[in-house]
Amino acid sequence: MEYFIEPVKSDCEDLLSRFQRTESVRYEEFAAIWRKMDFPSIFYGKMAANEMRAFSRLVMTTAYPYVLPPYNFQIRVGGLYLLYALYNTQLAVPKEKITIALKDWESIMKFQQDAVNSQHYDVCYIFRKLLSDKAVFFAAMPKPLSFQVKRKPKRHLVCEAFRDRPARVKDLITTETLEEISNVQEHYEKVKATITASSGQSDTAISLINKDLGACLQDTVMTYQNWLDEVTGKRTDSGDAADPGEGTSKQGDSSRRAELLASIKSKSYGQLTEASKSRRHRQVEMDMFASETKHTPGVRVRNRMPSLKARTKKNLLNKGNLREEILQATKQWHLSVAEQDKPAKPRDHKRFKYSHPA
Amino acid sequence: MTSVDSFSQKENMAASNTAGCSTPSNDDNDVPTYEYIDINTKPFHFGTFENLWKETLNPKYYSFHDVHQETEDEEFGQEMGIPPETVNELKVICSLDTLRCCPENQPPVTDVVPADPGLMTLRMRKRRQDYKQTLHREFTCRQDLYATELESLGIGKKPLNPEDMLPEGEMTITVNVLFPLIVERFKQVRARQTLQVLMSHKLTQLRDAICCLQDLQVSGEFSNTPDTAPEFISKDLYKSAFFYLEGIFYNDMRYPEASDLSQTIREWAASHNFPTFQTAKMEETTFRDLKIKVGYPYLYCHQGDCEHVVIFTDIRLAHRDDCLDRKLYPLLTYKHRMISRKCAICNLYISRWVTSNDSLAPTDPCLFCEACFRTFHYDPQGNKLGQFLAFPYVDAGAFN
Repeated sequence: MEYFIEPVKSDCEDLLSRFQRTESVRYEEFAAIWRKMDFPSIFYGKMAANEMRAFSRLVMTTAYPYVLPPYNFQIRVGGLYLLYALYNTQLAVPKEKITIALKDWESIMKFQQDAVNSQHYDVCYIFRKLLSDKAVFFAAMPKPLSFQVKRKPKRHLVCEAFRDRPARVKDLITTETLEEISNVQEHYEKVKATITASSGQSDTAISLINKDLGACLQDTVMTYQNWLDEVTGKRTDSGDAADPGEGTSKQGDSSRRAELLASIKSKSYGQLTEASKSRRHRQVEMDMFASETKHTPGVRVRNRMPSLKARTKKNLLNKGNLREEILQATKQWHLSVAEQDKPAKPRDHKRFKYSHPA
Repeated sequence: MTSVDSFSQKENMAASNTAGCSTPSNDDNDVPTYEYIDINTKPFHFGTFENLWKETLNPKYYSFHDVHQETEDEEFGQEMGIPPETVNELKVICSLDTLRCCPENQPPVTDVVPADPGLMTLRMRKRRQDYKQTLHREFTCRQDLYATELESLGIGKKPLNPEDMLPEGEMTITVNVLFPLIVERFKQVRARQTLQVLMSHKLTQLRDAICCLQDLQVSGEFSNTPDTAPEFISKDLYKSAFFYLEGIFYNDMRYPEASDLSQTIREWAASHNFPTFQTAKMEETTFRDLKIKVGYPYLYCHQGDCEHVVIFTDIRLAHRDDCLDRKLYPLLTYKHRMISRKCAICNLYISRWVTSNDSLAPTDPCLFCEACFRTFHYDPQGNKLGQFLAFPYVDAGAFN
């Protein structure tokens, strides 16, 4: 079943990135995308006895991480809708449940509280509906653990496009720190005043610090934030203008970069099509890269190392005096039927060849 | 409904929130967290863990009864402070009909992958199905069939007697018990059985539920008195056993003749400068008292040297769709099926006897079922015919 993790994940991410492009958290938008992608068909197809149950379980555990923190609020909403939709469309009877781990419960409650505060009633309603439908297992860990250390771990890699922009500056300078700074400033001014009063020195000599440091800082942060918003906004706009299919700035960027790379590649490989005869074996490789989907099996020349038997034979025969001995030795281990007497084994069934549907 | 502005505002708020909150620090509390991601957790106390869930949850979400939809909607409206019309509107918006892709009167054919699928998963499934069709024979894995059957036995089962009803908020623990590696054939397959136990169960109840062939073995030669053989099962002769969990040996001391199997290990450890191990009694320990890691391999040892790896894979609150009959726990949910060896004569029944130095048998050793063994080796009066040694044989498929 594990081979389905990757495709299921990519399908979920496809759905969520389309949802992200709508810049909305409304359920109608989600449902429209869901119908457009014909997502319920993910459960279709002939499956053996308990394959359906195992598959549903896998789908649930794969979709679960999208409700959790590293993702931004909109994706988490999308993740919640996704779980709701997947739970209700699955074909296993009784339905496979969503497993929630205790460690994640706190962040899920916080998420729900955020939704309540900002009056996203559809989010709250669906969350409540899942709970009251008993669609949830309250467990220790999101999936059963059986100490699979030798198997290559298939961890959930966080999809970077769904993350929030890191706002380090904003995290660093919050209202509390600003208050703290102004308090310190005040104290400092007072101490300075007492010093000047006692010694009678002039104020200007020790006025090393800006008088209204707090306000100044806040201003700077605000301008920075505005600038950031402006820049990213512009980027999104231009990205949308360039290729309306892509949504966020990051995706637009990456796809443009990929296109650029592809064009460079095709150019550089294109020059090689008229190579000299001596380099023809390399030319094949180039062609294969240039047209990535069109593989021509059997053309590839592989320089394979001769087998151990062949190598031993070669070594021994080159030794000279051993040669006679070896050639005269009885070869009892050889099969009694000569090669040409063997009946040609008929290949009675066609070999499986997968052709891409697209 | 809210506007987009408030959403983006919200998003900013959520961002600052998520940045501030991380998973709670868990050096001393009992919220289970990963020690190695996706492999096992840090040790946590099962009883405290149970309480933590129960404290945080509204009991109606883990009760076995249905939540009444209308009162639920009403409550929701009150909590959110929205009028009933809005709730009804929400209900329509979020209804399941919105998820359907085809009209209601034409249910889709779910056995067929639609032509030209857009989803990656479906492409993969189509590829696998196409591959399977090119195969000569299609195997249905019987192992899978049996597994489904066994699993579905417990699902949603209600007790006949209401007193046996599982209490709400009871926790079920899933335990994988692997077969011992001393048997040659288990070196390739990770054969296991999976049991579900309750939080209130004692360790001895798990012990009794584990079925192992070594418990049924009969040692000795019985060619002269074949009728007395089944009286000496190893399980009744050697009753000691222990679980080794997180540095503590839990010994089964229910019977006076049981001995402390862990003693030799502890003595050896003491003489080799190992930290000393603790011991406890299996019959006095419930799962609630344990402080162990989920997903981590532990040991169950019985019959002196039959060692099973035991892994606690999952622990969760019991659900309405689980087996609700308390009497049926510990519940077997998965069991590896083994090939059984048939009788050498009839090739029909499972072997019960193995003979050696047998002048009548074609091979040495040779397997016989009960009926063939009796008719072949004894006359109608029960007298032994010829010279042979007979040992009772317990087939690997005895528990199938």
